[in-house]
Amino acid sequence: MAVKPMQVVCYLNQFFGQLGGEEKAGVGPQVVDGAVGAARAVQQALGDAGTVVATVICGDNYAAEQAERAVAEMVALVAAARPDLVVAGPAFLAGRYGVACGALCAAVQAALKIPTVTGMHAENPGVELHRRQVYIVQTSAEAARMLDEVKRLVALGTKLARGEAIGAPTAEGYFARGVTRNVVAGASAADRAVAMLLEKLAGRPFASEVPRPAFPPVAAPRLAKTLEGATIALVTDGGLVPKGNPDGIEALNATRYGAYSIEGKAGLDAAQYDNPHRGYDTTWVKQDPHRLVPVDVARELEQSGAIGKLHETVYSTVGVATTLAHSARMGAEIAEKLRAAGVDAVILTST
Amino acid sequence: MRLELCWSDVEEVVAASPTRLVGKRLEVDLEALRALLSADPRLTGIRLDLVHPGERCRIGRVFDVVAPRAKLDGGEDFPGVLGGVAKAGHGRTLALGGVAVVATDQQTASVGTLAVIDMAGPNAALSAFGATHNLVISAWPAPGTERSDYLAAVRLAALKTAVRLAQTAREAEPNRVEIFALPPSPRVPPELAHLPRVAYIFQIHSHQRPTGLDEGILYGDPVRRMLPTIVHPNEVLDGAVLRGFMGRSVTTWATQNHPMIRALYAQHGRTLWFAGVVVTVAQATEPERVRSAFLAAGLVAHTLGADGAVFTKIGGGAPHVDMAQAAAQCEALGVKTTAVVEDMSTDGSAEGMLLFDFPGVDALVNVGSSQELLTLPAMDRVVGADDLAPRLLGETRATYGTLCGAIEQVGSTRVMAEVR
Repeated sequence: MAVKPMQVVCYLNQFFGQLGGEEKAGVGPQVVDGAVGAARAVQQALGDAGTVVATVICGDNYAAEQAERAVAEMVALVAAARPDLVVAGPAFLAGRYGVACGALCAAVQAALKIPTVTGMHAENPGVELHRRQVYIVQTSAEAARMLDEVKRLVALGTKLARGEAIGAPTAEGYFARGVTRNVVAGASAADRAVAMLLEKLAGRPFASEVPRPAFPPVAAPRLAKTLEGATIALVTDGGLVPKGNPDGIEALNATRYGAYSIEGKAGLDAAQYDNPHRGYDTTWVKQDPHRLVPVDVARELEQSGAIGKLHETVYSTVGVATTLAHSARMGAEIAEKLRAAGVDAVILTST
Repeated sequence: MRLELCWSDVEEVVAASPTRLVGKRLEVDLEALRALLSADPRLTGIRLDLVHPGERCRIGRVFDVVAPRAKLDGGEDFPGVLGGVAKAGHGRTLALGGVAVVATDQQTASVGTLAVIDMAGPNAALSAFGATHNLVISAWPAPGTERSDYLAAVRLAALKTAVRLAQTAREAEPNRVEIFALPPSPRVPPELAHLPRVAYIFQIHSHQRPTGLDEGILYGDPVRRMLPTIVHPNEVLDGAVLRGFMGRSVTTWATQNHPMIRALYAQHGRTLWFAGVVVTVAQATEPERVRSAFLAAGLVAHTLGADGAVFTKIGGGAPHVDMAQAAAQCEALGVKTTAVVEDMSTDGSAEGMLLFDFPGVDALVNVGSSQELLTLPAMDRVVGADDLAPRLLGETRATYGTLCGAIEQVGSTRVMAEVR
């Protein structure tokens, strides 16, 4: 079956677009019909499969110093050409260029729903900035083997443009985008686990199937005052909610949290609270909410003067299967509110 | 200890009287079986359906799947739950290949979490139960039956059926006999003493939810206060361990055909010495978790004297961390570990796959993401979930976790999440 030839737009910087060197780095986006400069390699790699209909060129400094404007202008130029695929770069180790390639690809995908591909060296800052959104083919540091590198970009780009299945990062040569996809492996998980253990026992290299999470370490700040003068708040991810769950906090995969007043309360009356948390046995917490949120003891400490004051709002969410993104957002929002309210320290109870 | 699994392969299952095995055709007297199961006063309206590989049929409301097994000699059937409490794992056990008993739960409130089995289409290949002839049991609770009692009764019905079916092979010449013989752990012949000693740490239940009184999991015990303990792998293969009522992404069938125990047996005496199995439960509180972790690691390192250990979990996040804590304790004692995890990410991000980061726990295999979406194509017939038939007949979106047998946390499946 004959496949319709693709229309491709290339993006290059001033150097690869043959406008000039660093002295031309300030020029704004312009478009040239057909393939110029490094885009000729793209045309060569495409062969009969497609045509480079236009080359968008922009100076590195312009792209770096007025990033938003540059991207918007280039997206407009791409839109006018209505291509099936955008090939940006490859940028190799050129930092400003790599960041611009990634940003343009991400914007084109988002605004125009046109597939894109770019390429750069592992240490190009554009990789870390954009690999989650954009297919970035791994290249060498310098443009010594331009055609070979471009062929790999075009091969992946062709698959993307045709909507074909994309293989694993190692097979296709792109930087892992940090997303997971279910596939069917060649052996059962049990067989793979035993094989991996034998490699590990023998001191040989093994490839774990799950990346270790890179949780940034969070150092506990020092309390600048004595406890006797401090305002203490209670925060939990154990799912305490007032009866009826007025904020509709999800039983798992939570995206919401609640702020519940304990003003005038010496303790929590079990009859007035509930717990939608699906990640642990909530029997005992429903029986006595203080097992999760110790308002009773905190009030005693407040009365005796051991702590300065108990903050009158308890923050609560459900911490089960919550995404890192939502956890970080909710944590930041709660911390901001606590800080604005003059809270000095938090007792965070989890389950 | 020596266990012989005497396999009779079944290629055809038909309704006929009496219940018997004729060559590779299993004939089932559904009326007689229904009468047998109806003796349980906790159940009413029992229905039995036969479904076959390749049939455009979807089974809904799946609760558990049981492999047909019956003791020929040397013990009790599903001891402590169906048969009397007695040691399992020795003697001869009849096993039918190509047949499974599927128990359904007619009370599942949330249809979003109900498990399905597709007998045809692309999803059939993802689950072992798309390739077996399945006898599907649908039963409703008799008035006044509590939920936990209902589930206990449904499971018991599945176990009775599994035994009844396998008993048809009593007079048959088995197609093959699998022998599982493992000498006492310390008795290593000198010529094999160089092999690394490997233990398996099998988390058999998670206490995220309390077990019911009749929720027998280990020899009929609901494992409520269970501390880590050593069992012979044959006991697991021979019906001593059943799935609890809420175990997600695990079936009793997978435990009866335990893939990790089989994998270790397959390598035993060749590349490793199978040192034994430690069963654990995921605990509900931190002190219990810590205590369980170091006790399990102590059994692995000091009692079994293992050089390496593989771990599996059952359930969600708490069991995932519980398992990793035990693995970390093993690593701290110099025991190398690998663990089988489910991709825990709920948004498809690689960052969210894991809920722990312990020193040394760096060799991980995964059984895929249960959250990832998949399509259930249209079918001609729905079995086990009459009330949901309108929805389950047509094409609908579901998740891998919905497809019973696609993700088995004990590691039988080949679905894995790949980072892209």
